[in-house]
Amino acid sequence: MEDEKTMRTTALAVLTVLVTLGAAALAAAQPAGTLLVGLVAEPVNLDPAQVTDLNSNRVGRRVVETLVTFPDESTQIVPGLAESWTVSKDGLRYTFKLRRGVAFHDGSPFNAEAVKFSIERQINPEHPFNKLGKYPFANFFFGNVKAVEVVDDATVEFVLKEPRASFLAVLTAGAASIVSPTAVRKLGADYPSQPVGTGPFKFVSWERGQRVVLEKNPTYWRYPVKVERVVYRPIVEDQARLTELLTGGLDLILGTPPDSVPQLEGNPKVTLLRQVGAHVWYLGINNQKKPLDDRRVRQALNYAVNKEAIVRDVLKGTGSLSRGPVLPGTWGAETGLKPYPYDPERARQLLAEAGYPNGFATTMWVPESGSGMQSPVAMATVIQSNLKAVGVNVALQTFEWGAYLAKLRTKEQELFALSWMAGNEDPDMVMFPLLHSSQWTPDGPNRALYKNGAFDELLRQARLTTDQARRAQLYREAQRILMDDPPWIFIDHEIQTAAHARRVQGFKLHPSFDLRVETISLR
Amino acid sequence: MRRYLAGRLLLLVPVLVGVSIVIFLVLHLSPGDPAEIMLGSQATREDLARLRADMGLTEPLPVQYVHWLRHVLRGDLGRSLWMKRPVLPEVLGRLQATLLLTATALVLSTVGGVALGVASARWPRSLLDRLSAVASLFGASMPSFWLGIVLMVIFALRLGWLPASGMFAPYGGGGPLDLALHLVLPALTLAAASVTIIARLTRSTMLDTLGQDYVRTARAKGVGEAGVVLRHGLKNALIPIVTVVGVQAGYLLGGAVLTETVFAWPGVGTLMVQGILARDFPLVQGCVLVVALAFALINLGVDLLYAWLDPRIRYE
Repeated sequence: MEDEKTMRTTALAVLTVLVTLGAAALAAAQPAGTLLVGLVAEPVNLDPAQVTDLNSNRVGRRVVETLVTFPDESTQIVPGLAESWTVSKDGLRYTFKLRRGVAFHDGSPFNAEAVKFSIERQINPEHPFNKLGKYPFANFFFGNVKAVEVVDDATVEFVLKEPRASFLAVLTAGAASIVSPTAVRKLGADYPSQPVGTGPFKFVSWERGQRVVLEKNPTYWRYPVKVERVVYRPIVEDQARLTELLTGGLDLILGTPPDSVPQLEGNPKVTLLRQVGAHVWYLGINNQKKPLDDRRVRQALNYAVNKEAIVRDVLKGTGSLSRGPVLPGTWGAETGLKPYPYDPERARQLLAEAGYPNGFATTMWVPESGSGMQSPVAMATVIQSNLKAVGVNVALQTFEWGAYLAKLRTKEQELFALSWMAGNEDPDMVMFPLLHSSQWTPDGPNRALYKNGAFDELLRQARLTTDQARRAQLYREAQRILMDDPPWIFIDHEIQTAAHARRVQGFKLHPSFDLRVETISLR
Repeated sequence: MRRYLAGRLLLLVPVLVGVSIVIFLVLHLSPGDPAEIMLGSQATREDLARLRADMGLTEPLPVQYVHWLRHVLRGDLGRSLWMKRPVLPEVLGRLQATLLLTATALVLSTVGGVALGVASARWPRSLLDRLSAVASLFGASMPSFWLGIVLMVIFALRLGWLPASGMFAPYGGGGPLDLALHLVLPALTLAAASVTIIARLTRSTMLDTLGQDYVRTARAKGVGEAGVVLRHGLKNALIPIVTVVGVQAGYLLGGAVLTETVFAWPGVGTLMVQGILARDFPLVQGCVLVVALAFALINLGVDLLYAWLDPRIRYE
């Protein structure tokens, strides 16, 4: 009996010690000055010229910077590492005056040579560091660059093959980041695992599968960074990320699933943020296949779909209605346009006019998931039932993302769900690739096989002039054409969500999908 | 014995070659290629073609396989297409975490399962036996990702006793206690299905053994109850139990993929999922090869254990 009592006391004591130690270990998880960020996946490579995924970019771009950039709340172009620039009359020469006195984290100076090195390693196959990496978007972004010339230490000139008014927007891309040539020479193929740039944070360490640690750059040229270090943790499972935020294991999380939005909104411990992004989600239509080649049919499909219901019920408010490819509120957006109203009656009427009073049968391809795809299958299911209501019988086929993209090159698609993340607001970066007839798949991303002569011509003209007011005029007219001769069913622009703990101050989500933690201070 | 061991080790070679051929074919013949996924919806055909050529994906399949095999024989598992880093150190760096998780889950499920099974056999149709039957049904039918999330919500979110994910506290942690606390939830989740299987098997084998004449004899000559059950009963029931524990070890190693993903445990499983989604052929092949090797070695270990448990079994 005595024995049993002693045993019970001992067990209780051991348990108390364990729980206390455990609580102590948990409480230690919030060191002052350290910001803990939960990513939805692990970065794969921290050289922004080599990456294609958002998570790598979100971390890598804290370390390196571009010549021109965006302010913290919009995607208008402002000076970055370049103080000012001029564009030649013919639109072929962009000359940048570089900021003086800026140094890379390894102490080497930032100068025109570094700019030339950063771009040329990607586009010149003879460059000694070309073979050390794979630069998947070099052609997409810099295919039009003939040469990068060093004028003097603080002046650099880009010479283009043909004019392209959106070239400044191109230079805001991660691929246009300026890297330390000294570090690339020293580290070679290992550079992407330990990047060196001029950014607000210096790279410290990367424990695979666990965390990437950055530390503040005490001599950052733009402003003093208030956070001492940032720890990024990749946590794939939504519930795990949420739990970590609510229990203090994370300060800031991205990608809150639509279903948990109400749960977070009512929680006093966290702040939920929303920000519409430079993104568009559309249901593509093969403009060359019968009966979808008839403009009235495509209009009818737009009237038939209840986009408000999709945004409200499926996306739980994490989308904003789209009236075309250009994000409303940006300089190129046509303000006079309204989204297609939900009007099944009008849809039926248009179908009848086009010669399909009883509708028709077609197929819809949808990826199960994918970058920027929001909730593709649920959204497609609503669209399918909306279309059925006006007599269009849709057979839904789902695919795994990688297989899906390959399938879209076959030109056999009829209806298909897809999205585009331009990352900036220049209309050329979304309209030209997605809808210009020179960009038809499989050579380009115009998978709707859209072709409209007047539209093509407006886009071409807008590329030739660098006057933004004139360009805006041309793009607005182009958007009016798209509304009347719709290439897709317009659905939504994604509203990004993030949630952060109370101690995080001064954070905003960025429309470019970047994650600017350098604006944060911790309470 | 030594000859037997050498023979078994030699047999690993064709097994691993077979595994590598199957995984190679499954990966390469499944739709969607790495270039497509890397470049996403913004790719042009030209970019795709160049990237494919860069990654060596334009060669015929047998040539690619032989090329890969030649590297493997030199101890080089290739470079990850996605991360652009050598595969072998990546996989080995993650293997420790997976082995720790699997071993903990195996110990938990073996100790728990055998204890539960022995108790159920000793007192059949008791409350304990019935509860264990219900728990077994529950444990075996719960998907591990669901169980993992439920445990996480209860013990991390509601009660705040245990950390929700990861292997160490995100900053400042790192001691053995920190590790142990982080290990509890994923290990329990992973062990849940195995513990019930081991318990059920132990119960039926033990019932069988306890009904044998030598058990009656032992009781008759006055051996204490614990001695009867453990020394005479359990020891003779061990062979099938060890077999099923061996099978479970392999199962746990595979099951770790899901559990690791739920708990952000930095093991081979999370790496493999990342690799599969990106169609990172060398990375997935490397992971599978290392896991297959571990599985084969565990099986060999189990076979050797038989001889130790039952001296009548000899390997010549």
